[in-house]
Amino acid sequence: MGMEGWGPKAMLRMKAMVRAARFWVLMPLLCAAAPVQRDADKDTTAILQANYLYNIAKLVEWKDPAMRNGNFIIGVLGGSNLYQELIKQYSTRTIGKQPIEVRKLPRTADLERCHMLFIGRTELALVPEIFKRLKDQPTLVVTEYDGGMEDGAVVNFVKVDNLLKYELSMANARKHGLVVGLTLKNLAHRVEE
Amino acid sequence: MTMVLRSLISLVLVLVATLLPAQSDVLAEVLRKYQGGDLAGAREAVDRAVRSEMHAENPEAWLLRGFIYKDVYKGMPVGPEADNVRQEALESLYTCMAFDQPGTYRDNALQAYDFLVRSCFNEAARALSAMDTDRARKLFADYKAAQLRSDPNANTRDKEIEFGNALGTVYTKQFNAFRTDTVLFDQAVAAYVRVLELDANNYGANYNLATLHYNRGVYNIQRISADVDIPTMAMIQEASKEYFQKALPYMLKAHEMNPSRRETLLGLEGIYYSLQDQMNADKFRQLFELMPPSEER
Repeated sequence: MGMEGWGPKAMLRMKAMVRAARFWVLMPLLCAAAPVQRDADKDTTAILQANYLYNIAKLVEWKDPAMRNGNFIIGVLGGSNLYQELIKQYSTRTIGKQPIEVRKLPRTADLERCHMLFIGRTELALVPEIFKRLKDQPTLVVTEYDGGMEDGAVVNFVKVDNLLKYELSMANARKHGLVVGLTLKNLAHRVEE
Repeated sequence: MTMVLRSLISLVLVLVATLLPAQSDVLAEVLRKYQGGDLAGAREAVDRAVRSEMHAENPEAWLLRGFIYKDVYKGMPVGPEADNVRQEALESLYTCMAFDQPGTYRDNALQAYDFLVRSCFNEAARALSAMDTDRARKLFADYKAAQLRSDPNANTRDKEIEFGNALGTVYTKQFNAFRTDTVLFDQAVAAYVRVLELDANNYGANYNLATLHYNRGVYNIQRISADVDIPTMAMIQEASKEYFQKALPYMLKAHEMNPSRRETLLGLEGIYYSLQDQMNADKFRQLFELMPPSEER
């Protein structure tokens, strides 16, 4: 085909065809698109939660002697931005003499033993089974949903007056062999004895 | 060079008839030097002329001075010295129009005056491109003053909005590069607020002002490290909350003005999320995900 075949009308037809083809190629992709993930560095809640977890760990004592040796393990179930923030800011720190180790846990209730376990709000379906399995374990469970402490969490993140705060269950702490310092208690938004 | 020639021809046509009968006059000397391309000599002579009792209130002399200074300015490199020469040219042309009651020279004077006024605005824009905000502000102030001086009813509002938005953008860029310099943040806010005083429905200023405050709140939180204890973190959170709350009405306004813009949906989602308002964050996240990119609409 010579150049004379590409007149203005032919060019317009071709452009329209390309547009249509692009639409039909992209359409299934758009329909199947997953929710856009928030950038970890702009996830203000994850940044605050990570700092809370670190400070809470410093203000709690694990009575079980086995938990006072080796790495201090923080397990994260859901909350991938929180995991990234913990890795970025806190994974080179220690709790007492125990180096912090942050683990991203698979979506299962069959969890490894850890000092702290954060359960994100995307994993609520696993919560009943997790609490059942961790019933007598020296694990400080942290949740972020209404009624988390009733289910067995020691710490639950709450949203109060546009701020992220935490509430504390002393009873659940005792059940898991944890001694909560007075400072942590005083700084809590709400304490359940 | 073409502009110089055009100015010269125009000026000669106007002045030659009036000056011919008085060849010995200093103005004739000025014109001769100007025609001969001796700008420095013409400048010296015309300064002498307007200081003389004979020509101090002579619109021809002031017009000639305005043209000569305008050409001197055009031959100079951009900078404060050229700005001063341009001011002299503007002053001379304005004086010419003030003394020229019959309006004989008005068209010529006004044409040159408008050219110089436009050059102030254009150079203000160029200074902004070079991130020289102080010079840009000075030049814009010169532009506005000169424009309103020749025409007190002139509409400078649109240009002020255009300049204010550009100024705010430059201050924002500078603040993003030096986040500890909060003066830059305040200056960016002031620039956008000024735009909104002139036009409360300016989409760009509303959106940018919201983003500026939101980013400041996020930046505060991003600085939280392992060395920050809970009480300190609470204070940082409080401070950030104020920025998020300040951001919200501007982003809502931008969204109200243009509900199909994905950027405002995402902006609102981010602000509500940072204000720990999950319900509204989820609402705007859903709207964002349902809204196709503009090129597909």
